[in-house]
Amino acid sequence: MLRVLCGDVEALDPGLMDLIYRFRHNFFVDHLRWEACRRQDGRERDAFDGPDCLHVVGQEPAGRGAGTIVSYARLLPTTRPHLMTHLYPELLKGRSAPSGPRIYEWTRCAVAPGKRESAKGIDAVSGASFTAVAEAAEHFGLEGLLVQTHPVLVTRLMDMGWDVEALALPCTYDGSLLLPVYARLAPETVATCRRLFGLSGPVLRIPASDDTRPPSPAERPTLS
Amino acid sequence: MPDVRQTAFDIIHRLRSAGTQRAVYAELRRTGTIFGYDAFLIGGLPHSPSENLSDCSLISGWPPGWTQRYEERNHLHRDPVIRYIRATTDPFLWHEAAAHGDPRGSVVMNEAREFGLKEGFCVPFHELDGSEAGVSFGGTEVRLSEDARAGLHLVAIYAMSRAKAIARRVQEGDAAEGAAVGLTGREIECLKWAAAGKTAWETSVILSISARTVEHYLACAARKLGATSRVQSVAEALRQRIID
Repeated sequence: MLRVLCGDVEALDPGLMDLIYRFRHNFFVDHLRWEACRRQDGRERDAFDGPDCLHVVGQEPAGRGAGTIVSYARLLPTTRPHLMTHLYPELLKGRSAPSGPRIYEWTRCAVAPGKRESAKGIDAVSGASFTAVAEAAEHFGLEGLLVQTHPVLVTRLMDMGWDVEALALPCTYDGSLLLPVYARLAPETVATCRRLFGLSGPVLRIPASDDTRPPSPAERPTLS
Repeated sequence: MPDVRQTAFDIIHRLRSAGTQRAVYAELRRTGTIFGYDAFLIGGLPHSPSENLSDCSLISGWPPGWTQRYEERNHLHRDPVIRYIRATTDPFLWHEAAAHGDPRGSVVMNEAREFGLKEGFCVPFHELDGSEAGVSFGGTEVRLSEDARAGLHLVAIYAMSRAKAIARRVQEGDAAEGAAVGLTGREIECLKWAAAGKTAWETSVILSISARTVEHYLACAARKLGATSRVQSVAEALRQRIID
């Protein structure tokens, strides 16, 4: 089961947000060894987290371990400080990336390591999570997403039907190749994802309020 | 090369609008004169021992003599470059692959030299379905600066993506159908958004063009499809499988 959370989730559902920060700490710090993100309380929360983020969260369905987080992605508004502008602007060599109210940045993409076992190709949890991000982008009327990732994964974004524009040449960052791109949502992106991962319909549960606008950063208190 | 980034971006811009494998081939030939390679190959890796080069190659810019030799001796299964693709996600030079392979691989490398392929640069691909592929550039003197390597890496990514998309389209046969009524890419794009329930204004925002232009594209599409309304245009485009 996947859903997209928006608004002040820390206030509305602190228990779930706590699970999310712990899942992120387990994945990015304990599994991927992002030591700079290590926190004593075991919650990976950075300066970019706050009520303006969208969280695409996959959880175990009813049964044993129900509610356990198995996948996650964070979408940051580009109208506020985000990774491309404030964490590694040097990737763009002085140039600027697209930004605006309908452009978000896809960050903190994670699938629980135990769910990633697949004999050949991509597993069901990863496929659903990628599809959910496209569905969320379409639901909120987004034009596209900024992404910084390994070139091999950029190729996969192309295969998933995103219209990918490179923003710089690939470069080595922290010992690994990184390519910053702007992935535009195309009319067929969601359908391509579903076909690729063998999904017959939507994977994302949309919030009941059915607010199709992304939360406007201007209406939110700023994060210090 | 004065500005590798701009040079690479210009090549990518042309690759993205390439409509046929021949156009991708021509662009990679031209790119060779800039980056200093003489030959190239876009292909998938074999899934079974019975496959030969011709089963795997998507676009070949190898010297014909080398292709023939490679096929005859079925080098695909001992080529160290092919083997190394499976082991890495980062681009590499051919001699780096040869250093990792088993001794049988050096036979392939030595024979390649006879055909003017002394060094090369290979970009590996690891597909969603678990299969691997590569774009390889070779020549008598392939010397790439760090920037040129990055530029050629990006060119390879777009060349592969384009080659795969064209192969898929040819397979699905909708290229012929789209061309039959003569719809342009923009007209098809507007139709797709109309089919997704977007108004002309919403589509104009998505495509960053004016609503009037969207109306114009939809009107042209309707005329070409022999339709009298937007709904009928969408229905006709769906029926002819120009959109899905």
